[in-house]
Amino acid sequence: MNAMLHEANAVDVEPLVARGLTHCYEGSNVLCGVDLALEPGSVLGLIGRNGAGKSTLIRAMLGLLEPLSGVAFVFGEPALKLSDAVKARLAYVPQQPEALAWLTAQQMLDYVGRFYPRWDAGFARNTLERWKIQPNKLLAKLSPGERQRVDLIRALASQPELLVLDEPAAALDPVARRELLREVALRAGESGTTVLFSSHIVSDLERVASQIAFLHQGRLLLHCGVDEAKERYARLWLPATLGTAAPAQALSRRRHDDGSLSLVVQRDAHDQWPEAANLPGARVDALGLEDLFVEIAE
Amino acid sequence: MDASLLTVQPAAPEPIYRQIVEQLRRLIAGGQLVAGELLPSVREVAGFHAINPMTVSRAYSLAESEGLLERLRGKGMVVAATRRSGRPRLRGKGMVVAATRRSGQTESQRLALLEPQLAALARHAGELELPAEAVLDRLGRLMRNRG
Repeated sequence: MNAMLHEANAVDVEPLVARGLTHCYEGSNVLCGVDLALEPGSVLGLIGRNGAGKSTLIRAMLGLLEPLSGVAFVFGEPALKLSDAVKARLAYVPQQPEALAWLTAQQMLDYVGRFYPRWDAGFARNTLERWKIQPNKLLAKLSPGERQRVDLIRALASQPELLVLDEPAAALDPVARRELLREVALRAGESGTTVLFSSHIVSDLERVASQIAFLHQGRLLLHCGVDEAKERYARLWLPATLGTAAPAQALSRRRHDDGSLSLVVQRDAHDQWPEAANLPGARVDALGLEDLFVEIAE
Repeated sequence: MDASLLTVQPAAPEPIYRQIVEQLRRLIAGGQLVAGELLPSVREVAGFHAINPMTVSRAYSLAESEGLLERLRGKGMVVAATRRSGRPRLRGKGMVVAATRRSGQTESQRLALLEPQLAALARHAGELELPAEAVLDRLGRLMRNRG
């Protein structure tokens, strides 16, 4: 009965919401008032440099860390007081898995599986084999990469409605990584799984993400659709002689040694670039997400 | 058609859904895809390339609205049947083959294939501060010399 109520709720309740999350470690701010909400069925790619606050944001959103101020909600429940019913709909893979190291991979999966109503034991078994992990080796004796792979299998086999992956790609070779991306993409598209996926490997996010958010120095610089980010933003280059024509509105502004100027600009409501883009000598270059991120994060 | 016929470059500035539409346009224009041919399902394309199925749906819908594809009930997407754009010119034998291969394409569809090159040309001309008339005149002469 409980499960049915939750199924009905899942349609309108946002799976994951952050409001004004602020946190600091040893006096320096890691999160400065972050607002973020995930739509059901979306795949949000969280991009940021090392130390940008990605893991802190994720932990605060899931209630694994009490923020200095602000609140987070998972399926409508306050993140710091999640019920078991909501926890069963959620799977999280941290960067460094720590739990249950005294079990073998198979024992851990069998044990954990009992807590999930929709556990897919066949998937767990097959994926262990495909990802070349010895099922009877102790988790403590696996390499960090293998530990993370076991953790990914655990997360996927529980068939969660919300899947949160913190830098999952680092531990995987290119073939396994592609396989993980395929799993994530198809689950989002077909089962409506909502995914939050952090990485500094932008091209991984570009394949599967429907939305991206750039986190830089504890703030969200940009949060929009992936296609929109590529189509709405571009780099405008102006030679030194046109410096005074530069538009006042720009996401970033960099002056080069020769006096020329690079700006990240945005199309207006009529899809037009700022007027300076039409001046003779000006140049507009389309940007991939990585270039866009580097331009605005510098 | 097989999903492997498409290539996807996630890091390119062009969104993936546009990359797919552009490739469909070329495959159809080049005769590799013929009218009525069944396209791989959204799931097949998304699975093969490990991309978001919504991206593939978006590409198919755009291709449909541009008249490249048609949605067949219960079957999926197929390459649209196209109107002929005038009769093939019968000059030399080579022409006939070329004209037949292209005959499924309207002039505007064929012109659309040149769009990336034309956009690049327009950009370069702008950077060199060349007036459109001079560029068009030169382009016209180059095309006539070929024929």
